[in-house]
Amino acid sequence: MSDFPGMEDLLQDFLQEAGDLLSDVDNKLVDLERSPADRRLLNDIFRGFHTIKGGAGFLDARELVALCHLTENVFDRLRNVEMTLTPALMDTILAATQGIRSMFAEIGQQRQPAPAAADLMAALRSALAGGDAAQPVAAVPTVGAAAKAAQSGAGPAPLAPESGPDWQALHQALTGRTSEPPARAAPEQAPVAPVAAPVAADPGQLQPHFPPEGRRASDRPGAAMSGVPAGRRADERAAARETTIRVDTARLDQVLNLSGEIGLTKNRLTSLRAEIIAGRTDSETLQALDQAVSQLDLLVSDLQNSVMKTRMQPIGRLFQKYPRIARDLARQLGKDVELALVGEETEVDKTMIEDLADPLIHLIRNAVDHGVESPDERRAAGKPAKSVVRLEARQEGDHIVLMIADDGRGISPERIRAKAVEKKIISEEEANTLDERQSLNLIFLPGFSTMSQASSISGRGVGMDVVKTNIQKLNGSIEIRSDLGKGSVFVISLPLTLAILPVLLVVLGDQPFALPLSMVREILPIDQSKMQEVGGRDTLVVRGEILPVIALAHLLGWPQAREPEYGVLMQTAERSFILAVDNFAGRDDAVIKALDDFRPRGVAGVTTLSNGQIVLILDMKELLADLATHADREQRSTQPRVELFA
Amino acid sequence: MADPKMRILVVDDFSTMRRIVRNLLKELGYANVDEAEDGAVALQKLQGGGIDFVVTDWNMPNLDGLQLLQAIRSSPALKHLPVLMITAEAKKENIIAAAQAGASGYIVKPFTAATLAEKLQKIFERMGG
Repeated sequence: MSDFPGMEDLLQDFLQEAGDLLSDVDNKLVDLERSPADRRLLNDIFRGFHTIKGGAGFLDARELVALCHLTENVFDRLRNVEMTLTPALMDTILAATQGIRSMFAEIGQQRQPAPAAADLMAALRSALAGGDAAQPVAAVPTVGAAAKAAQSGAGPAPLAPESGPDWQALHQALTGRTSEPPARAAPEQAPVAPVAAPVAADPGQLQPHFPPEGRRASDRPGAAMSGVPAGRRADERAAARETTIRVDTARLDQVLNLSGEIGLTKNRLTSLRAEIIAGRTDSETLQALDQAVSQLDLLVSDLQNSVMKTRMQPIGRLFQKYPRIARDLARQLGKDVELALVGEETEVDKTMIEDLADPLIHLIRNAVDHGVESPDERRAAGKPAKSVVRLEARQEGDHIVLMIADDGRGISPERIRAKAVEKKIISEEEANTLDERQSLNLIFLPGFSTMSQASSISGRGVGMDVVKTNIQKLNGSIEIRSDLGKGSVFVISLPLTLAILPVLLVVLGDQPFALPLSMVREILPIDQSKMQEVGGRDTLVVRGEILPVIALAHLLGWPQAREPEYGVLMQTAERSFILAVDNFAGRDDAVIKALDDFRPRGVAGVTTLSNGQIVLILDMKELLADLATHADREQRSTQPRVELFA
Repeated sequence: MADPKMRILVVDDFSTMRRIVRNLLKELGYANVDEAEDGAVALQKLQGGGIDFVVTDWNMPNLDGLQLLQAIRSSPALKHLPVLMITAEAKKENIIAAAQAGASGYIVKPFTAATLAEKLQKIFERMGG
């Protein structure tokens, strides 16, 4: 049952917009901590709470209105320099934004939010009354905090409207009418109830979902603190996946415009078809046909691009949630960390933004928890006490690159190797064959954690392999680079969209296959005479790197008709190898058609070439996994597992 | 009721709020509504002409509702435009400021269609009389 009947659409709009606004406020709060007297920040934050309150009023979300109202009043006094921002007050304010966020979650489940935690409301009131925010007051007078503040505070604090000739005259001047009796409504309600005042004076005007009684009740602190355990909310945040998307109307207009144009071109083609069927095949007609088809071609690819763009969202919407998380965590750990955001305007496919949320949180937590040192350690190492974690997004060609860089202590490859051996993830012999990059990438293996003591914050190392799996699900890759003493960088590379997959077409026998281009590093001819056998496997040395050679025919279980002539140097996150094929047929942007009912192992989907031929898109990870189980059975005792397809 | 075809400009930086006001106006039969996300954008639209009525929020970035109102009243071309101010508080100083700046009326959030209709009616009455 919904507490907001008939308002579901409005609710979605409100939650999305107010949620963005609150994230923005959160970020500004982090900034404010560094420059507590910045008037522009104070104004912006004030307006944020004010705006959320205004919207909440229309949803009749009384508890949300009450909480926003108190917080807004705090900022009103801060910006008027009637109050100073103490660390304790800052904590209260941050708790308030957290409270507002929980209320959004409740509204998202179509429920009226429960009252905010009593101690939070008390702390806010106490701050407004000029008390110490850290010490919640026990008894709060029913008059309301704002009125109390007005009595005790100096300057133009929010005044309780009083009944008197002044108000009446103004009211009259403004409305040209005297019938509304503000004297009745104002004194008891107005101070903490922006929602009340003249409107509430005539209950006959109110629709059922604006019950005046209920609203008034919420304005009494006693009511706001009644019952409802504060813990109720926490476990009720079943994050429903968003099924709607906000699209710039200009982009939608473009889609509309292009479909219109395509319609026109279709009409042109229909009439040309009639002419041709009727026997007109003179050069003029054919030229017109050629023109129309070329135009259609152009329009359709424009339309595809435009439709894809409607799915693109600036990654800043995701990024803006993180400074607050980083700040809270840093404070908890006694560190001084600034999260710097770069490239927030970079646009990413919406589904990807959602799937990136968790991996990024984990990486940021990891950077703040493990990457960055304590201020003392940093000073001892001659670094500034404050560390900077940089979260950056940018587009590189047809890829999105995300970087999470810290300026912390860096990771030692030796330590990682030792740890992996100790945890029996790899053997001593295997460890010795690993270079620096491969060693660092061990942290992505299941069951690895660089800290001997698992911290409650970054978890037990279950995260990194999950991060990697999640990134791979998006056809992306993740890599780590580290400079001992200077910091570490996680680099995530993602395709622009999941709808179109750039592929390399290779040929085996006379059948083409498509390989995801994101895995292809380079193409090289295979010189059989340079092939070396190492541990029973064919290998080639490419610029000093010994790489195993795997024939595509072998992967697919086909007979090898002739010696493969070309090799595709492919790289997945954990291994590089050369895929031996007969020939190439070029590259293509494949529109993937999933094989839902019948999907052979090792096939990710199919796509159609321009000549109508159907091509299988290979799922290299699955094919390699199959091969590994084979290899593992055959050569378990002799082969280093990490190097060769564990 | 005044001309239902009159063009109304709704000014608010919170798009949800613009939608709410728009829906309420529609409920009252006013479907010819344009929107602006702050006072500066509103002023630009107003200068373009064709707007018969302004409903504006108070607290907005760039140019707030009061500044917008002052700009309207000081412009020879716009000064006769009726302006309904939306405020979140029934604070005395707000109402004084709105009155002094020449607001045609004010309304306190949240409000219902009925309240809005009443406020509009009052403004039309005075305009007619």
